[in-house]
Order: sequence, then C-alpha cells, then structure tokens
Amino acid sequence: MSDMSNLETDGVYIATDGLSYDYNGVTAVSKVGITVAKGQIVALIGANGAGKSTTVKMIAGALKPRTGRVLFGGRDITGMPAHKVVQQGIALVPESRLVFRHLTVLENLQIAGHLPRSRDRMKDSYDHVFQLFPRLYERRAQHAGSLSGGEQQMLAIARGLMTLPDVLILDEPSLGLSPLFVGEIFKMIRKLNQEGMTILLVEQNVHHTLAIADRAYVLEKGRVVRSDTGRAMLADDAVKKAYLGMD
Amino acid sequence: MTATPRKLFLAFIVVLLAIGAVLPGYVSPYHTRVVMGFFMFAGLASAWNILGGFSGYWSFGHAAFFGMGAFGAAKISTALGAAAGSPAAMILPVAGATLIVAVFAALIAYPILRLRGIFFAIAMLGVSQVVTELVNNVSWIGGGVGVFMPSPVPAGTRPEVFYYYIFGALLLLIILVTYAIRRSKIGYGLLAIREDEDTAKMLGVPTEHYKIASFVLSGVLVGILGAVYGYSLGYMSTGSVLRLDIGLNMIVFCIIGGIGTIWGPVLGTAIMLFITQVLLSGFLDIHLMITGGIVVLMILLMPSGVLGFFNAKRWIRFRERAR
Repeated sequence: MSDMSNLETDGVYIATDGLSYDYNGVTAVSKVGITVAKGQIVALIGANGAGKSTTVKMIAGALKPRTGRVLFGGRDITGMPAHKVVQQGIALVPESRLVFRHLTVLENLQIAGHLPRSRDRMKDSYDHVFQLFPRLYERRAQHAGSLSGGEQQMLAIARGLMTLPDVLILDEPSLGLSPLFVGEIFKMIRKLNQEGMTILLVEQNVHHTLAIADRAYVLEKGRVVRSDTGRAMLADDAVKKAYLGMD
Repeated sequence: MTATPRKLFLAFIVVLLAIGAVLPGYVSPYHTRVVMGFFMFAGLASAWNILGGFSGYWSFGHAAFFGMGAFGAAKISTALGAAAGSPAAMILPVAGATLIVAVFAALIAYPILRLRGIFFAIAMLGVSQVVTELVNNVSWIGGGVGVFMPSPVPAGTRPEVFYYYIFGALLLLIILVTYAIRRSKIGYGLLAIREDEDTAKMLGVPTEHYKIASFVLSGVLVGILGAVYGYSLGYMSTGSVLRLDIGLNMIVFCIIGGIGTIWGPVLGTAIMLFITQVLLSGFLDIHLMITGGIVVLMILLMPSGVLGFFNAKRWIRFRERAR
C-alpha cells in the first residue's frame, strides 16, 4: 500500500489541491485540483474566462492563490514568487507571447539562460533551441519585435526552454497564429515531449490538443468539470458538442 | 581579421584618451573648463542611464543625489576642519557623502520602485523637491546662506586643470561601470525589466533586487560627481547644485545620444554642450531658445537618439562579428 503511494508521488511533478482565486471578489478559479506526472502532456481546456490562465499563473507564482496548495515534486511551493519558481524548474511561457520586442533574439534567450540552474549549460541550451527552431538561428541578431507572430511564439517557447525546466507550461501557444504555424507548434510540442519534457498545455484549440494530450482537464467557470485521457475525451460526445462544434 | 571593427574602436578610444590626457596644456582655461563640464555632464548622463536607460525607470529627481553629495561633502569637510591645498583632504568627505547618498537611496528604493512609469518619475521629482527644501531651510545644513569648502587644489596647479583630471577619471570609471553592467546578467535583467517587468520575473529575473541595485548605484555615482562639483565651486548655496536643469539635462543628453546604450549619453552630452557652449557662445541672449528648438527637432527626427538613428541592426551585426 505505502509502496503504491510512494510510486505515485515519485512520478508526480505538479499537484494542486483546492486552488482558488478571485479578482476583486469575482471568483475566477474555484478548488481546482490537477496533477501532472513526469513525461506527460497534460491539457487544460475550456472556454474563454474558464480560469485556465489563472490556474497556471498560480502554479508559476505570478498570482498568489487565495486558498489551496501547489506541490512541485512533493514540495510545497504555494505563494513562492515567480522568479524562484522558475529556479525550481517550472517555466511558464505566457499568453500572447510577450517577447522582449526591442532586444535581439539572442538577448531574449540570454536573459532566460542566466538562471543559476541553467547558466552552466547555456551553450548546450543554445544548441538545443536552435536545433529545434532553425529559423530563430537565422534571425538571432534581429529585434524580436520584427519577427512574425509564429516566430515570436517560437522565441517565447525557446526562451522558456533556456531556463532548463522540468515542466514547461504553455499558455495558449497557438493563439493568433496562421493554421500552418498552429500545426507546426503542435508538432514541436509533441517532439519536445518525446525528448522527455513534461508539458502542461493550456489551449482553446481543443482538437489538436486532445490528439496529443495524455490527460486533459475541462474547466468551466473556474471549476474542473471533467478529466480523462485525451483520447477518451476526443471520442466523448459532450466534449465534441461543446468544444469541437460537432454533433 | 574578424576583430577589426573592435580594434578600430579601441584604437579610437586610446587616441581620445591620449588627447584628453594632454589637452589642458594646449587650450585656453575657458576651453579646459568646457571640456571639464563635458566630463561631468557625460558622467551624470551615463549614471542616470544605468537606471533610466537600462531598467526604464525614468527619474526626474536625480538632482537630489547630486545636491546631497555636494552638501554631504561640505558638512563633513567642515566638521573635519581640513586644511586647504591638499587633494587627500577630499577623500574622506567624498567617501562620506557617497555613503550618505547610498544609505538614502537604499532607504527610498523599495517603496519608490513599486511605482511604475510616470508615477515613479513624478515621485522622484517630489523627492528632489523635498531634499531641496530641506537643504534650503534647515539652518544646520546651511543651503540658504551657503557653505564654503576648502580648496583641495595643490599650490601651483590651476584649479580648472585639477578638476579636469578628476572629472575625466570619474567619467572613465562610470563608463567602465556601465560597460560591465551592460555585459553582465544584471544588465540583461535590467533590459528585460524595461521591456516587460512581469515577464522578466517569470523568466527568473529577481526584478526587485536588480531595480534596487541599479537605483542605488546610479544615485551613488551622481552623488560622487556632486561632491566633487561642490569642491570645484568653493562656495555653494542650495541653488548651485539642487537645480532642476541638472536633473533634466541628464535625461535630455541620454535621449539625444541614444538612451539605454553605453556611448549614447556621452555622445549626447558632447553634441549638446558643443552646440550650446561653443557654437552658441556668442548668442547668450537667445541660446536657450535655440537649444530648446534643437531638442524638439532631434526628438522628432531621431526618437531613438543619434546612435539609434545610425541603424540598430548594423550595430548588432558589428557586435556579432566582433565576437
């Protein structure tokens, strides 16, 4: 019995318990509990304003939860400031990219590579991200603001990878991208996962997301209303109706 | 081969240094004083740039640090009763004034850096007004009636030459500090804060610590310049050092040259002082009006400064190749 529970906590990277948040009294997230196990792609899906971004911001330390706990590898990191959470090994790639527009691609990467946990391996990290995104290498001396939307998204992800995270959280990586780039981003997410990266993915592009997710949580008005494997959800009529526009 | 542009640049700097080292022997006292003023203002602009240029926190109140350095040195040198004519007598008062500025900056840093953008700028303006009023009205400080400082200039040395070399050395020091910061992880962190503070935090930049460090460092460097400037005046009252135009000039020179770059503040100071003090020295009655016109024109034509105007991309490629 105790062996079983040990095994479970060993494999679990992120676990939240009763996580809640409100913006000036308006509940955004209510008692959300999710777990992300090592090597998985876990998806948070749901409509606009369902509380997906708020949830991952609490995990990454950008917001302080009103109640609840965030455990990372068994340690309590609730309320830890964002710059220390990164140091623990959780990198959040924020929504709508937010690259440093007036800095070059290289400088953008360098800032993230300076963490104590990552600076000794900065050379390897450059090689890794440039191999993942050859286009960024071509554009390394350009200002990030001059990149296309898709390239900026690549840069935002590459920047997150420079911190050498154990878990990469991607908040709406396909938002506002052309269909061609959306496909590329999902291919890249899958490739990263196959290399061993654990990924927590927040998405509105439900079809693509469920196709690659090991596990998915559906959020509605700040609550988890369903959780299952990605495959099971894809086949689920209710999910199809609500999010895929199919009857 | 690949390092040629960098070698050229270094050679250029060495030539400038050599010219600077012997210049006072060849030009008039007036022009020595003009170049001395350039050293001081370039130092002020570069020091302001460490906070305003790198982290994007525009302080409109750096004159407070300048005046505090000057009056701090004056109080300490009076208390020590140092004899005139000895440069070594400057050391303790300047060091003491530096410490005063550092403690003051560290005390106000945390609360004031919680404000962003225009609110920070205005709060700093308020700080400089409060410091000005205190220096002016607290009779112990003596800004209202003025204070004397014993001249540390050794006998036989011309004062403008003496201060020429001190301000020259301080400018070099400040440029080296700026350079070191820009190339360090703190420098990159400050740039990230300027671009997007919340995202910087998400990438592991300890934004609070970096902001406070650059605020204190920037203030301290300005304070040192203020202390030496006080000595160079010999007698000063509140209005000699706690001047709004000093605080504004630092900003204007940075904008003209290229804010957030290493050489922009130096270049901007050189351009503006050359125009106002050399070209327009014959038009004293209208020179401020012309200066104002030039500032407006430059900002309209070159919003990212002279350095920014000459193609940011070329600079980056230049640096890439130099590596």
